[in-house]
Amino acid sequence: MNDSDDIRIIRTACPAHCGIDCCGILAHIKGDRVIKLEPAEFPIPNDKRICLRGLSSLDITYHPERLKYPMKRVGERGEGKFERISWDKALNIISEKFKNISDNYGWKSIGWVLGGPGAGTTKFGAYLRLASLTQSTRVSAWGYGDAGVPCGSRTIFGSQFPYMYLFGTFWQRKWPDLLVVWGSNPAEAAPLQTMRKILDAKENGTQLVVIDPRFTITASKADVYVGLKPGTDTALALGLMHVIFKKGLYDEDFIRFETNGAYLVRIDNGKFLRGKDIGEKKVNAFIIYDESSSTAKVLRRSTLKTACITGEYEVGGIKCKTALQMLTDLAKEYPPNKSAEITGVSPELIIKFAEKIGTVDKATFFTWMGFTRTYYGDISLRGMISVATITGHVTTSISSGYIPAVLNWDPFLKAIPDKPSFHRMGILNLYNAVISGKPYPIKALWFAFINFLNQCVDCNKIIKELFPKLDLIVQTELFMTPTAKYADILLPVCSFLEFSDFLPRPYPYVQLQQKIIEPLYESKSDVDIVAGLAEKLGYGQYFQGGENAMIDLIMDHSSLDGYSREELRNKAMLLRVIPEDSNIPLPFSTPSGKIELYAEQLSEDGQALPVYLPPVEAPVSGKSQKFPIAFIQGHSRFRTHSMFANVKSLLELNPEPIVDINPTDASKRSINSGDWVTILNERGRATLKARLSETVNSGVIDITEGWWINQFKEGSVNHLTHDIVNPVQNKVYEPNMHMNDVAVEIIKYKEGEK
Amino acid sequence: MIIDQERCIGCEACSVACRIENNTKNFWIHVETQGGGQKDIPKGKFPNLEINFLPQLCNHCNNPPCVDSCPTEALIKREDGPVILKSDLCNSCKACIAACPYDIIKFNEENKIIEKCNFCSHRIDQGLEPFCVICCEGQAMFFGDLNDPSSKLIEIISKRKVFQLKPEENTDPSIYYCHPRPKRIL
Repeated sequence: MNDSDDIRIIRTACPAHCGIDCCGILAHIKGDRVIKLEPAEFPIPNDKRICLRGLSSLDITYHPERLKYPMKRVGERGEGKFERISWDKALNIISEKFKNISDNYGWKSIGWVLGGPGAGTTKFGAYLRLASLTQSTRVSAWGYGDAGVPCGSRTIFGSQFPYMYLFGTFWQRKWPDLLVVWGSNPAEAAPLQTMRKILDAKENGTQLVVIDPRFTITASKADVYVGLKPGTDTALALGLMHVIFKKGLYDEDFIRFETNGAYLVRIDNGKFLRGKDIGEKKVNAFIIYDESSSTAKVLRRSTLKTACITGEYEVGGIKCKTALQMLTDLAKEYPPNKSAEITGVSPELIIKFAEKIGTVDKATFFTWMGFTRTYYGDISLRGMISVATITGHVTTSISSGYIPAVLNWDPFLKAIPDKPSFHRMGILNLYNAVISGKPYPIKALWFAFINFLNQCVDCNKIIKELFPKLDLIVQTELFMTPTAKYADILLPVCSFLEFSDFLPRPYPYVQLQQKIIEPLYESKSDVDIVAGLAEKLGYGQYFQGGENAMIDLIMDHSSLDGYSREELRNKAMLLRVIPEDSNIPLPFSTPSGKIELYAEQLSEDGQALPVYLPPVEAPVSGKSQKFPIAFIQGHSRFRTHSMFANVKSLLELNPEPIVDINPTDASKRSINSGDWVTILNERGRATLKARLSETVNSGVIDITEGWWINQFKEGSVNHLTHDIVNPVQNKVYEPNMHMNDVAVEIIKYKEGEK
Repeated sequence: MIIDQERCIGCEACSVACRIENNTKNFWIHVETQGGGQKDIPKGKFPNLEINFLPQLCNHCNNPPCVDSCPTEALIKREDGPVILKSDLCNSCKACIAACPYDIIKFNEENKIIEKCNFCSHRIDQGLEPFCVICCEGQAMFFGDLNDPSSKLIEIISKRKVFQLKPEENTDPSIYYCHPRPKRIL
């Protein structure tokens, strides 16, 4: 590459759905072709980075199998037979069909299934805007694995995300004495924004504990690895709390002032004692028990100072306990031996770990989404946060770092201010809506940036029950994915080098994903596709000016004053610095305005406390059953979900799906490394090669998610998963898919046998 | 160069980066798993497991046996360190492949030429770091001049014990490694 004179270099950023990494990238262009990608500079030099997927992105852009033009299905759904049509014809077919469906069922029977836009904003916003204008249904993708965290976080913190409270300061490079990575593998899933910092922290003296049913690469870097059974996290949290309470290692002041631990709870109905219960004028006020006067008092800043945080009291004939006492009593039922028996972690380790958490000056708890992909994953998160809370390891105010950007979502969420907007439906509830018409029928689905069939639970149900009920399936895609084969209309979309977007990431930056080359073939960006359809539907005026107009619109918020698209063309820009010692309190939008160790609104569901409830399906009790193996899905460094699964250069390093099985389980079944095996349960099968590995314990198998269905000999990971709805999650936010809460058996594959 | 095993997460971005930068089908860098004998598999029994990664590239030896073995003087040891291959002088006799104790010189089956890591000398000459270094996810690779007292390498060597591969071969590699740090019990 010496003829550098002909090469132009333009900055852009990778929006891939790897969470938060969002690497700045320099694209080297020769003629009209991008010939190389390399990491771009960030204002903080150490943040310059790229990953092996980002490096390999050109193999997506220039992949020989890219979809090149709009197509209409001519064979059966799933057969993959299509014929080329023009954009105009494709959009005409869709708009006619949409009008037809809306005449019969109403616009809300048309659903937009928007998957992970990665860090992208306007490509997501464009769809929301059209959904809002037409008052159709936005199918939220939180529920395809990511709803457990908001369910738990909303309950305990009153916030969609728990991250600022748990590790906001960690992102600002404030290294704790102890870092607990719980159910997360950033070494492969978020190597740059997170794993690098974990390695930095270790280098600066932080002790690292990793809790995971898999011995991940992150776990390999741990000082102490805690290998537990899948879905038993809450039992571990309760075991830790047992020791912390018993040894008096909890942070009394933190509990008193930052949580609802001192509030009195009625034993008879699990509700908080209120002013009206004891004849106070403030009928809804919370009540505490005053230590000095031995009387119940209305909660005030002044009364809280002398409130009892533990104990059982009778107030006006009503038996009560403090919320903390309720939690303590629950934890009492989980001595280390019992917690050990459930989780598979040694009791000695539970004790030492709890003592460490309770005695270090600063501990940070880190997690993403993985361990909440179990039926009670939201409670697992609350369990972990409860451990952090009672020991005072939760951040309640920030005095350094950067102020996150707020985007101008209003024109997208509510395109016409005085008119109703779109309907919202969780993706797991979509199954019922399509199949049974409840709560209302969905007759057409548009899939964008989602490989729905591949990545959502229970493939056989989708193929046999869900897809056949749909009058129209549209997919925007780069490739003939397993889902695309079921589309009626298939629209070719650009790779990230062919369109522009605004990326408010990674923390602490904002970036521009800049169009580097013109769209290849007849592909278009999602924004342009939506604009084209909107034109047909009579909403063209809302989409004038294409991507750049959309970017300007979404950046039109006071938090981004002084930042411009023009300036972002050449650099990432730092967010505004939080003035030192400004001590900005982090809000808790819970009913109490505090961290809720006790969630009154879930008392009728028996989940006011982080109770341990066994996984809905994963067999962890050791009792013999038909499907005795717990099946979990880790993440692979070679893919971002199902992206990159078809990239040849990465397939050379990691050629095919593999199931990791413990040698003990393998030998019982006469399975050797390299053997074809079938994993099965009542819903389906997956056939692939086995690898004997101690990365999983006996009783657990692991296949990394994201391999395409056609890459298996038979079935896929999601032919085994289930669509059981957790009604409490449905009440709190929306139900999650529980990909890591699945029971299976594994057998040697026999040709022709079903 | 120093490679810190503590920071290496075995991602193979170095292998991929190298291949892209040098426009070849071979992997001039490979990442060895130190563990259970197979790629990405740890040693031990659950949950008492251990795995480490050892990325290997040309060692740019100070006593390079490949240079000595080359009959056409296609391989040269540059004064500033890199052992580079001048492809136009190479007759693909493979003597270097036999001579290298690290099995790191590659034969490109497609166009029948010898290939090896040149320490990205085309980048070094422009004052840039090797491409693998700037693409290392864990920031485990450090490049610099051991004769420069202000180099990051000198700082690392002053704090950590370093080792070279196959010291018994007396090749004196320019690639040094740091062992992972010992685990600290709770």
